[in-house]
Amino acid sequence: MANKAFGVINSAANYIRVEGLHDYRPIGAFSFLGRFRVIDFPISNMSNSGINRIHVYLNSRPRSIVEHIGDGRHYNINSKRGNIQLLFTQNNGHSSIYNTDINAYLENLEQIERMPQDYVIVAPSYMIYKQDYQKLLDEHVASGTDITLLYHKVDQAKEYYRACNVVTLNKQKGVQSLERNMGTAKEKLISMDTYVMSKEIFVDLIKKAKKESSAYSLADMIALACETLDVRGYQHKGFFAAITSLDDYYRANMEMLEYATAMDFFTSDWPFYTKTTDACPTQYFHGASVTNSMVCNAGLIEGTVENSIIGRNVHIGKGAVVRNSIILSYADIGDGVYIENAVVDKWVEVKKIKKIVSESVTPTYVKRNDKL
Amino acid sequence: MAQTSMLAMILAGGRGSRLHELTKKVAKPAVAYGGKYRIIDFPLSNCANSGIDIVGVLTQYESVLLNSYVAAGGRWGLDTKDSGVFVLTPREKADCGLDVYRGTADAISQNIDFIDAYDPEYILVLSGDHIYKMNYDKMLSFHKEMGADATIAVRGVPMKEASRFGIMNTDDNRRIIEFEEKPEKPKSNLASMGIYIFTWKTMRKLLIEDMKNPDSSHDFGKDIIPVMLNGDKKLYAYEFSGYWKDVGTIDSLWEANMDLLDSDNELNLDDTSWKIYTEDTGIIPQYIASSAKIDGAYINQGAHIGGEVSRSVIFSNVKIAPGAKVIDSVLMPGAIVEEGATVTRALVAENIRIGKNAKVGNKKSEEILLVAKNVKGED
Repeated sequence: MANKAFGVINSAANYIRVEGLHDYRPIGAFSFLGRFRVIDFPISNMSNSGINRIHVYLNSRPRSIVEHIGDGRHYNINSKRGNIQLLFTQNNGHSSIYNTDINAYLENLEQIERMPQDYVIVAPSYMIYKQDYQKLLDEHVASGTDITLLYHKVDQAKEYYRACNVVTLNKQKGVQSLERNMGTAKEKLISMDTYVMSKEIFVDLIKKAKKESSAYSLADMIALACETLDVRGYQHKGFFAAITSLDDYYRANMEMLEYATAMDFFTSDWPFYTKTTDACPTQYFHGASVTNSMVCNAGLIEGTVENSIIGRNVHIGKGAVVRNSIILSYADIGDGVYIENAVVDKWVEVKKIKKIVSESVTPTYVKRNDKL
Repeated sequence: MAQTSMLAMILAGGRGSRLHELTKKVAKPAVAYGGKYRIIDFPLSNCANSGIDIVGVLTQYESVLLNSYVAAGGRWGLDTKDSGVFVLTPREKADCGLDVYRGTADAISQNIDFIDAYDPEYILVLSGDHIYKMNYDKMLSFHKEMGADATIAVRGVPMKEASRFGIMNTDDNRRIIEFEEKPEKPKSNLASMGIYIFTWKTMRKLLIEDMKNPDSSHDFGKDIIPVMLNGDKKLYAYEFSGYWKDVGTIDSLWEANMDLLDSDNELNLDDTSWKIYTEDTGIIPQYIASSAKIDGAYINQGAHIGGEVSRSVIFSNVKIAPGAKVIDSVLMPGAIVEEGATVTRALVAENIRIGKNAKVGNKKSEEILLVAKNVKGED
């Protein structure tokens, strides 16, 4: 396969905040189904598409992602001909308006300009989907367009995808506008913040942005470019999640409990790679009851688990009930504790409080390392 | 080349014929165990966790899968510049023809050149088919402290059963004074575990002599140890007390799997300070459907449970359809149990399919049934 493109994985825009989880790590490092991290999906998509030069831009709290990606060998990237570069931005505070993807690219412009490939695929580290980028690139080259943008048609744009951009297309799939989703209608075309363009246009947009506004993002620049360049949409089909709020995060995990959805997404011809930990299998004790759930390894299950995601090394005590919840790694749910509609972060210990329930649609979030 | 203090040689050439069809195409050390492991993961992980960098794996019988499996030393962290796992199969040499390994000692003798290249002070000889966790570094400290020529790991077995083992008789200082293979009237209950540390200089000489001896069967237990005891060599017994299993039969392999269902099982695979490393893939977590009922199980990631499971060990990519039942059984990677089928007291081999409504195994049977061929379904 010809490697005509290099990959760029960017962070979520500075106005995207996911309650709770985001205080401890960037969205790319969020756990998905208890064993993956969100960033595994764009990297695996690139690796499976034959892209073996990948830039990962980190703009805040990089520890968990750096640890997770490491030398990138687990992503099946050729260790001689390919590599994953972790690129940092030092100059801006986490929530600063200047902390944009463009500023990250500007700080590392030399790295970008040195890439030998003619094209670039830009993909976000906060979305989960499956896409063959080689196919997208071939389509882009064949169409002769300047920028190809990936989008997904959704019917819950009022409740979800609130921090995403929506696109409007003309009949020829030409992008007419790209703007924030204000939740004005159910049906929208959500931009997947994924673009294909020549390296030349990419570098040009970055340089222009500097003159335009110090707070502009690549998406802002492409929105502007709709007037002068040929920007076209490419429809994505299949599972798609944008992790832009706790609700979106929760829903993305829960959707995978639908067996058909999971089997359609996880197929042996398109593996999703992750860092593995050699965790032993999970032990289910006599008296445990587990239904409609995904359970990771090294768990000790003594209680009841329903419609939930259970991360690695989790203990569910005797008589405990976990319902419609996401329990992240190393959490210890004590005997007799009842948890419903919650996202319980890593290393949490629930012993004294016997009931954690959210009555609203939005799940309750339990902070990392909390002892309750 | 940097000198290494102790080099390990894992004997992994045995067929394990009492495991029947399970070892028809793979050697015993490559047999699946414990939901996600292969047996050889145990000695290899023990080596890695004990700080041993160079591990030779001596393979012979049906070694294709085993060779490719162990060659990826990175799996056990044995892939730094100074470490590695080396597959050593019998090879043709300039001064003698191609010869199979004629015995455990011969397997080492034929690789003296490999060992010499690392110039070790000690060599550790292990079996590739035992399930246990052991810190070989502690055993080496003991070996050095005793100034031994050989240290043999032993474990206490019930006196009643001692006549089934190779028994070491020791003096008060744990020095071995006699070795008896399956004695009718055992004098001690210290059974050899087939784990040896030898001072390489001494052992090298003995192996060269042994190669020239036409009457030798070139076996450590039968030939080398007796020669050492008859000479003036110092042999010591190092007592080990943790979990240890030689899974020679289908029944014992099944039993060793079932041991993992105990909440306080001695093997303690979830001890993060002494992990057993293995091939770990990025498959999805265990998927437990609404129709599932699990009552006592040890289940690996990537298993799909739709039916009932009780007291069983389930490997990755196993699929148990809704309405199927799995009781007191071990389902190896990729095994499929279709709707309405029942599996009882059985060990189902890798990638075997149990068809719709089929009944396999028997609750009352004393022996465990090995299912190594697909079972047809009934409508």
